[in-house]
Amino acid sequence: MRVGPYLLTVEPRRTSSPLHGVLTAVVAIVVALVLSSVLFLPAEGGPLHAYRVVFAYAFADRYGFLATVHRAIYLLLCTFAFLVPFRAGLWNIGLPSQVYAGGLAAFAVPALLGGPDLTTPPVAPGLLVLVMAVAGVVGGAVLAAVAGLLRARLNVNEILVTMMLNSIFFWLVAYMIKEGGPFMSATGEGEGFSLPSFLYAPLWAGVPVTALLAVGAAVLLDGLFARTALGYRIRAFGLNPQAARYGGIDPLTLPILVFVVGGAFGGLAGYHYFAAVPGVYKIPGNYGYYGDLAFYGIICALIARGSGVGAVPVALLFAGLSLGARLAQGQLHLPFGVDYALLGLLMMTFVASHVLYQYQPVWRPAAEPAAPPVSADAAEG
Amino acid sequence: MTTSVEPAGGQPFLAARGITKRFPGVLALDRVDLEVDAGRVHAVLGQNGAGKTTLMNVLFGLVQPDEGAVYLRGRRVSIRSPHDALALGIGMVHQTRRLVAAHTVLENLLLGHPQARGLLNPRRARREVEALCARYGIALDLGARVWQLSEGEKQWVEILKALYLGARILILDEPTSVLTPPEVERLLAGLRTLVREQGVTVLLVTHKLPIVMALSDTVTVLRAGRVVARLPTREATEERLVAHMIGRDIAPPHLTEAAGGERPALLRVEELAAYNDKGVLALRGVSFALRAGEILGIAGVTGNGQEELVQVLAGLRPPAGGRVLLDGAEATWWPPLERWRRGIGYIPAERVEVASIAPFTLVENTALTFHFDPAFTPRALLDYPGLERLTREILTTYAVRAPHPHVPAQHLSGGNLQKLILGRVLARRPRVLLAHLPTQGLDVEAAAFVRGRLLDARAAGAGVLLVSEDLDEILSLSDRVAPIYEGRLVAVLPRAEAHPEMVGAMMAGWRREAAARS
Repeated sequence: MRVGPYLLTVEPRRTSSPLHGVLTAVVAIVVALVLSSVLFLPAEGGPLHAYRVVFAYAFADRYGFLATVHRAIYLLLCTFAFLVPFRAGLWNIGLPSQVYAGGLAAFAVPALLGGPDLTTPPVAPGLLVLVMAVAGVVGGAVLAAVAGLLRARLNVNEILVTMMLNSIFFWLVAYMIKEGGPFMSATGEGEGFSLPSFLYAPLWAGVPVTALLAVGAAVLLDGLFARTALGYRIRAFGLNPQAARYGGIDPLTLPILVFVVGGAFGGLAGYHYFAAVPGVYKIPGNYGYYGDLAFYGIICALIARGSGVGAVPVALLFAGLSLGARLAQGQLHLPFGVDYALLGLLMMTFVASHVLYQYQPVWRPAAEPAAPPVSADAAEG
Repeated sequence: MTTSVEPAGGQPFLAARGITKRFPGVLALDRVDLEVDAGRVHAVLGQNGAGKTTLMNVLFGLVQPDEGAVYLRGRRVSIRSPHDALALGIGMVHQTRRLVAAHTVLENLLLGHPQARGLLNPRRARREVEALCARYGIALDLGARVWQLSEGEKQWVEILKALYLGARILILDEPTSVLTPPEVERLLAGLRTLVREQGVTVLLVTHKLPIVMALSDTVTVLRAGRVVARLPTREATEERLVAHMIGRDIAPPHLTEAAGGERPALLRVEELAAYNDKGVLALRGVSFALRAGEILGIAGVTGNGQEELVQVLAGLRPPAGGRVLLDGAEATWWPPLERWRRGIGYIPAERVEVASIAPFTLVENTALTFHFDPAFTPRALLDYPGLERLTREILTTYAVRAPHPHVPAQHLSGGNLQKLILGRVLARRPRVLLAHLPTQGLDVEAAAFVRGRLLDARAAGAGVLLVSEDLDEILSLSDRVAPIYEGRLVAVLPRAEAHPEMVGAMMAGWRREAAARS
């Protein structure tokens, strides 16, 4: 494009700095908020007021912020569940099933000890809490390992396997908690039994211990990929499986390994939401909502470009906006689905910013050189 | 598309004038002039990194020059994209294939064609393409899937695609680099027909002298981004062109004295067989012993089982029969990692697909054969500073042209990438070195360098299995020569008995014993 004496062209970006990356993300958020202000037009008090309600609840309100943190931990663990196989070039779409498997495995511990009738701890309660968390992790890991195993040994597409496991485990949870199921509540209201209070995960200022695990994992994962030999192997396999195999990286064990690690995070996410978040402490009847929420882990991982630490602010933002928008929808009498629409717009601007970030505008003078005379004989010949 | 090409009053048909292009840290093209006459073959000759491909990318609109302009029939034209180039009748066939393997030839031709916008009319397209094939004398099965085609046929699909898009000037970037000798012959014959009978103009980018001599009318030689010579091909000799290309004479390294005496066998291969990717038994019982301090040259035309042979030896393809012994130990089923650890080094023919990871930095690419080495993995961490030192050493020792060790491997030219791979594999000091087409696609200087290092490895006591199609390369480097034909070694000849004519005949299936009997 010609602008005055200059040519404006769009060219692929050659260099990139972390600062640019962060700036791009901020611009994407602002653009998404501006675009979705259309959604808030019917709100009482206008879009600006609506945003104030959203943000005030999500990040400034004591209870709202706690809920944001609880949800962010969940999203973060789901993010890691996707991220680890993703760095190896494999797509774990089975986040909900791993969440369910983690929840079921965790609740199997008190269920085996009596379920709703468990009123006194048979052993030290701290030990039982630990066993529950470990059971959740193992549950998710074992389930995801199925996808890794099928992929490695029989080359079955992991996306199909994990997707189908989602469906299977959705109905397995329904069977387990609803009327007549082994995990049903004492009163049978279509939900699982509640944990006795001595099995609640330890809290600090209302935040469960799983927060520590999530943030610690974020740091450890980045270190794993940047510094360790195993992380190198995972990245090599993800970018070029043929070259990885040439370099002695075993194509049979690596997919299983990344799915086991990813599934472990998914299982921990299930433990977190069903057994560690204050006010839940059971597999609720609307567990499907949390399953759907798990998919935001995929988005967070993609936006954070595979970085564990980078996913922390993204998960906080998604958690806060989903909660705040849901509240605003009720308070300001907005149409149903405003929260999902907001998250959807945010997703699109993030993805768009990623593509646009690959390019940069370039200005250069459009001086028209006079056609030079036909050069007679170049150099020699 | 049917407009005939006429030279416009003394002006060259296509000209580039004063083209300068800078990339970060590199002056890729320095005031380059190029003049191409209509209906002729113009060769652009130069080493890897001389700027040939950049110049062609300028003409095809993939790269915008910093200075200079392009003229067509004397008129200045603006080529901002391949779309512009095609509108001007300039088509390009890239060095790497850009076809959808799972689609048919016809579908590939339609992909990106203006007609394919909106509704597809395959029947009409087929008629048009068939007419085009008939006119240009191109024989292709339009219904065949691209993955079923040979490299030579794929090349023709690309050429046909450019012609179908209306190209009258064809830019061919290293068109022969992956073709077998008979395919090269067919390509040259076909191109001659296109030029002589249909008036198509061909811009041929290559570093292969025989191709230049056989096909071109005029040749422009580039060196380090500058035009150093432009002359009619009939006035050129191969020696003179080489001198232009590299700026001095070069003596190719060769073996002066074959290994004498019976050295111990390092690697023993017995009746080895393997299937290829299509399930055909491609390797049908090969036996030989590779000794320490020798180069055993496997000479053969690609597709006679040598690819399967090296892959089985590298642990990347399961054998269908036979066995492999390293120092007498059963090694037939060792996984690749075990082979690296035990001192078997492998330089694959597929540099980009197998031997390197394009987005990884040079340091990370070096790590590909060191990530399991205890010396570089203290406490499960990968010793990146140590790997960087090693990479810098490789860059210096192997004369790899790269700004620094943290550039992605995809920024290296083919020759530099190959030198990095070679350096990385040799840095492990392998006792057995499998080198598959180690100089394919490399310029004269880089090829000479690689050959020299293979000789060094041999001198250091390694057993080198050199697999090549280049008979001269095999004969100049090998202590013993084993021609391979249809999955079997025809013979294993000592250097003194390996006469070029006989080895060449054996590569084509001739057998001494059979000849003796008749």
